[in-house]
Amino acid sequence: MRHDLVPGSARPSEEEQGRESAAKYRGLLEAAPDAMVVVDQSGGIVLLNLQAEKQFGYHRDELVGQQVKNIIPEGFAERLIADDLRSDEDALAQQIGTGIELTGQRKDGSQFPIEIMLSPLESADGILVTAAIRDISVRKAAERHLTQMVAELNRSNEELGQFAYVASHDLQKPLRMVASYTQLLSRRYTGKLDSDADEFIAFAVDGASRMQLLIQDLLAYSRVGTKGEDPVATSSELALQQAVDDLRGAIEEAGAVVTHDRLPTVIAGEMQLGVQLFQNLVGNAIKYQASDTPRVHVSAAQDRSTRRWRFTVEDNGLGIEPQYFERIFGMFQRLHKRDEFAGTGIGLAVCKKIVERHGGHISVESPPGHGSTFHFDLAGSGVEA
Amino acid sequence: MRPMGDKGAHINVLLVEDNPGDVRLTQEAFRDADISIRVSVASDGVEAMAFLRNEGEHALAPRPDLILLDLNLPRMSGREVLASIKEDALLKTIPTVILTTSKAEADILNSYELRANSYLSKPVLLDAFYNLIKSINDFWLTKAQLPQQRPNQ
Repeated sequence: MRHDLVPGSARPSEEEQGRESAAKYRGLLEAAPDAMVVVDQSGGIVLLNLQAEKQFGYHRDELVGQQVKNIIPEGFAERLIADDLRSDEDALAQQIGTGIELTGQRKDGSQFPIEIMLSPLESADGILVTAAIRDISVRKAAERHLTQMVAELNRSNEELGQFAYVASHDLQKPLRMVASYTQLLSRRYTGKLDSDADEFIAFAVDGASRMQLLIQDLLAYSRVGTKGEDPVATSSELALQQAVDDLRGAIEEAGAVVTHDRLPTVIAGEMQLGVQLFQNLVGNAIKYQASDTPRVHVSAAQDRSTRRWRFTVEDNGLGIEPQYFERIFGMFQRLHKRDEFAGTGIGLAVCKKIVERHGGHISVESPPGHGSTFHFDLAGSGVEA
Repeated sequence: MRPMGDKGAHINVLLVEDNPGDVRLTQEAFRDADISIRVSVASDGVEAMAFLRNEGEHALAPRPDLILLDLNLPRMSGREVLASIKEDALLKTIPTVILTTSKAEADILNSYELRANSYLSKPVLLDAFYNLIKSINDFWLTKAQLPQQRPNQ
């Protein structure tokens, strides 16, 4: 069987010209890195290259004239055939240029995943279809592997979050007993035994109380993951107001002044933004104070390209040395001794987790002598402030 | 009239709690608040209902002036006990206060839907717990006017 082939839309004006381009086309076909198979619109194989022979395990004489269904059992021939809704041209036009993932079948019956790209080819016998066929076994295997890994990672992350939650939740009850009874011992027997007993009981009470704080904070931290709210359009100004209301006692005691610019509506969990994020950041700013009048200012600016809001919480407090900029966001990381400043060191870890769960980033800068400035970003609601 | 005692003699509290540590703490805290209060204990829901209905070994049990009910109990949960009390014509007028470690929104809502008289969560610190028991005594057993008789059926 012999066909005169002319690529593209260039029409043969003379037979000789046609023959010449057909030879060129064959050359191109053989040089192609992919398996190439040319079929007519009834699905018959007209031509194929060496790569196609190798890939499917046939000699080309065995395939020319055969139906393409022999090597691509499903999904190819059907696409070429016109039906009630489509003409021949439409049927073909719909498939041009798109990579279609199908299954190829070798001579020995074994199957392998392929991707085919179609392009039209005009010939003396009508429109033919050139199919570039690529064996995608390796890519498919890699995709499967990646999907498995992601699923596994998600499962393990979820388990870890669940574990932290259950552990901290379930540890609370027995710990409450230890703490309560050591406190009861202290309440009833301090000064009635000897000075050693008083000291031992005091250490037990202190240790149990501290562990209670740690476990409560661990629970709060793990709740950010397991009991997270769905982010909704939330007024960050109201969230800050809520945090300031909750901190009123501390603000008044410190004689602090909290100010803010006009703040935008963002996409965030309401409680997480107000009660946890702002409360921790503003609370820290007041707690780690250097001057008689701690000042905290909150502002926000929108990034022109990403449309995300970058928040700034700046204070005139003690500041943080640059070598601790990363560490302060870790769990239970503290820069001060317990008798200087109380706390477990969970606050900024909670902030980091909240911001990251909202697809943002939190960071700190602290020029010597100028307090600390925390930055974090959240998605805008689309509604301008 | 009450089956045993009267307001002038003793105030009776039924504590429904399965953890012996919590039972003792609550008893200690009541002793601290008012030594004359009698705290009876049922360690699960089934026992609580037997106590309230004077069944079996509880034939002579006093009718409590107040019930403190934990939610997580063996055999019959606090929710079931609460529902049974509030559906029982003889028992429903006894103030029933939930006292539990749970702060879950669902537990709080569910308890009030079942007509709990109030919902309190156990504080973690001893001093706060003592204060809570003192508040319970001040409000429910001192200031609040409670029905003196069983309701007529």
